[in-house]
Amino acid sequence: MILIGELSLWVALLMATWGTAVGFAGGYYKRPELIASAERASYATFGFLLLAALGLWSALLHSDFSFRYVASYTSANLPSIYKVTAFWAGQSGSLLLWAFILSAYSALAVWTNRSRNRELMPYVTATLSAITLFFVMTLCFGSNPYERLDWIPPDGTGLNPQLQNPGMAIHPPNLYLGYIGTAIPFAFAIAALITRRLDAGWLAAVRRWTLVSWFFNTTGIILGMWWAYVELGWGGYWAWDPVENASFLPWLVNTAFLHSIMVQEKRGMLRKWNVTLVVSAFLLAILGTFITRSGIISSVHSFAQSSVGYWFLGFLVISIAVTAYLVATRLNDLEAKAELESLVSREASFLFNNLLLVGIAFAVLWGTLFPILSEAVTNNKITVGPPFFNKVNVPLGLALLALTGIGPLIAWRRASAENLKRQFTGPLLAGITSGAALFALGMRDFGALVAYTLCGFVAGTIIQEFWKGVGARRRMYGENAVMALVRLVARNRRRYGGYIVHVGIVILFAAFAGLAFKEEFDVTLKGSETYEATDPYGNQWRFVSQGVSRYDELNRQTTAVLLDAFRNGKRVGVIKTEKRQYMDSRGVPTFQPATEVGIMEGIREDVYVVLAGVIGEDTAEMRITFNPLVWWVWYGGLIMAIGGLIVMWPQAERRRAQAGYSTVLQPAEQSA
Amino acid sequence: MTNALLSRRRFFALSAASAAAMVVARAAGAQEGEGQANTGAANAPMEADRYKPVRLAAKGTPVMDQAKRDELEHHIHCQCGCNLDVYTCRTTDFSCQVSPAMHGDVMALVAGGYSAPEIIAAFKNVYGDRVLMAPPTNGFDIAAWVTPFVALSAGIALVLVVLKRLRAPALAPTISPVLVDATPDEQARLDALVRSDDR
Repeated sequence: MILIGELSLWVALLMATWGTAVGFAGGYYKRPELIASAERASYATFGFLLLAALGLWSALLHSDFSFRYVASYTSANLPSIYKVTAFWAGQSGSLLLWAFILSAYSALAVWTNRSRNRELMPYVTATLSAITLFFVMTLCFGSNPYERLDWIPPDGTGLNPQLQNPGMAIHPPNLYLGYIGTAIPFAFAIAALITRRLDAGWLAAVRRWTLVSWFFNTTGIILGMWWAYVELGWGGYWAWDPVENASFLPWLVNTAFLHSIMVQEKRGMLRKWNVTLVVSAFLLAILGTFITRSGIISSVHSFAQSSVGYWFLGFLVISIAVTAYLVATRLNDLEAKAELESLVSREASFLFNNLLLVGIAFAVLWGTLFPILSEAVTNNKITVGPPFFNKVNVPLGLALLALTGIGPLIAWRRASAENLKRQFTGPLLAGITSGAALFALGMRDFGALVAYTLCGFVAGTIIQEFWKGVGARRRMYGENAVMALVRLVARNRRRYGGYIVHVGIVILFAAFAGLAFKEEFDVTLKGSETYEATDPYGNQWRFVSQGVSRYDELNRQTTAVLLDAFRNGKRVGVIKTEKRQYMDSRGVPTFQPATEVGIMEGIREDVYVVLAGVIGEDTAEMRITFNPLVWWVWYGGLIMAIGGLIVMWPQAERRRAQAGYSTVLQPAEQSA
Repeated sequence: MTNALLSRRRFFALSAASAAAMVVARAAGAQEGEGQANTGAANAPMEADRYKPVRLAAKGTPVMDQAKRDELEHHIHCQCGCNLDVYTCRTTDFSCQVSPAMHGDVMALVAGGYSAPEIIAAFKNVYGDRVLMAPPTNGFDIAAWVTPFVALSAGIALVLVVLKRLRAPALAPTISPVLVDATPDEQARLDALVRSDDR
């Protein structure tokens, strides 16, 4: 299997080359047999990359240390699940995962469009094959997971302890599914630009794929935040690290596109802008990969520095040049087909929403790359960390939150004063009441007060929309409230699925604002000693140390401390925090000791305990943190994902038309 | 036939170009050695000379409590080679020897009666701008702070121009009808739905 996998990588290289060449040739000369061959090459590339992936998994599971990759990321005693996940622990394995997912997406896109978008498909297939070709070339010539060692070591280095976590089993594949998902809309955009078929056709295909990308990007980011929170031990989940930023950039641009596409569908506007967003999302995904893999920017997540990053830079430059040429030569085909009727309209508010999303993306990108620019100009190394990103992005984020509420309240085309009054009164009252209530309860943090006021406002808009929709169905069809709610969502999944995503956003913002009230304590306790502290809600906590215990388990030696936790005199549970020294199969320590955080989760707050060290036999040094509302980050993310799934769920064309989402076709296009 | 021959020639030319690109790539890209993913500060190289003492003679009583001191440490970049601030590094990476030493200096300066800006300035004197967690607000680096807002302002101006251009003086509704094969009853319900969607 391993040999088959190794050979398959090279055959995939040939297949991708063939697919690229015959795809473009078939499209240019309109030769059906070449087009069909390119499509078959796409399926074949997927098949061979699947074999290549299975081969690497086989080598990892069999601990074949003759391969450098296996020896670098596993040891014989590594639990099997982490041998499987070691596939994406390193540079070349993760590149193979990327190429494999891309080929799977490509095959799926070709298959689902076998009788649709036929004018576009030769170029879509060719563009996707070209991107796959780049990745397979990088694998074969730059970072080959099948590279063999001159000698076979008795055991491997083992897997970094921080990667031995369930979060790392699912977070990277999710993120890759999101990143790579941007390639399909990019390929459709390139095909539409080449063929000058920039009407409605390509948008319908692109929207679904953008949603797929957005969905996985969202779940990938949230899972990454969860992993950082439970594994890294610093008590937070987002540090504005360059690699975190790289994952955030395509998400922002995809989110902007998912809003602006509605304007094009409903009103035929923003055609240039939408092409730009689709292309930018893909280019930012590639830029993010360059940042991660070149070592050009210091990051806690970086892969080993290598020349592979510069392959990505080259690919990025070529992609930008090709795209810029295509857009520049087709500007006339991208003119808007309708006019704006009023500045007070939903389409105008979506423009500002897009401006803020892209503005945040620019600020994040600028802050991430600024150290390089500064060093080039001033020869002085500087750091751009959380203080910069928070100062710049918090006001922009709050403005975006406000627009999340404002946008759906304003009618398409033109909103009357009566319409505005009717729509805004309830939500504004909800927002002001939330802020005033929290102020009356003693909240004095200005940023948090603004955030919660806006959360109340946006929540008010969403509740109002559901309330009105359910009321209308009850009046029209006599349904009970639950049935009316279910059918309301089912009959217009885009609109109400979108509102559910907005619910997730509100919850996330509320949770982020909760961090302003975090409390931390440095504690040193002997066995049976107690420590008392007050949490941000005024509850009295008592922690009683149950002493230090040491034991061996799986591939590690563990030092653990148990704390009995009491809230307001009532015992609420036990918190265990650990230090782990991982060993290889010969008992040789691998890596430095890793910390396992003890977390007592709750709706109101988490109690987060980190074992700093042990003095002597029985004295533990710990950091105890009360983290308000963190639970809501994960469940806000979950709600966003559910909303995304509802929006993505296929809906008959007739229903979409009923909901007003059919693309506006001009007479010339209709007759075409 | 001629066309077919020509296209084959063109195709083989393309193939040859691809093969040449592969050869060039092979020559240019030597196989990189695999290294374990550096996912934590604990794995960053630690050099003894990364820490430099920051000491000043005491000038009074402390003006900061522990919370303010911790907040101050969020603005000082640990010099161990990680990408974290002193507070985060010393409370996350317990193998780091640099952040506890820098923390010690912060505590000594706080105990000596120095304020947050004075302590930041003292660290800057010793380490330079790299000890800050955010770009300085002078010289070229002020561009880091100003540019996002300049770009946003330019974006707002651009959106306003676009809105103005898109806006026609007196428009009859130009939206084309959506083609739906519907009965009159269905059409009436459709109109109601679209109206409700347009709220």
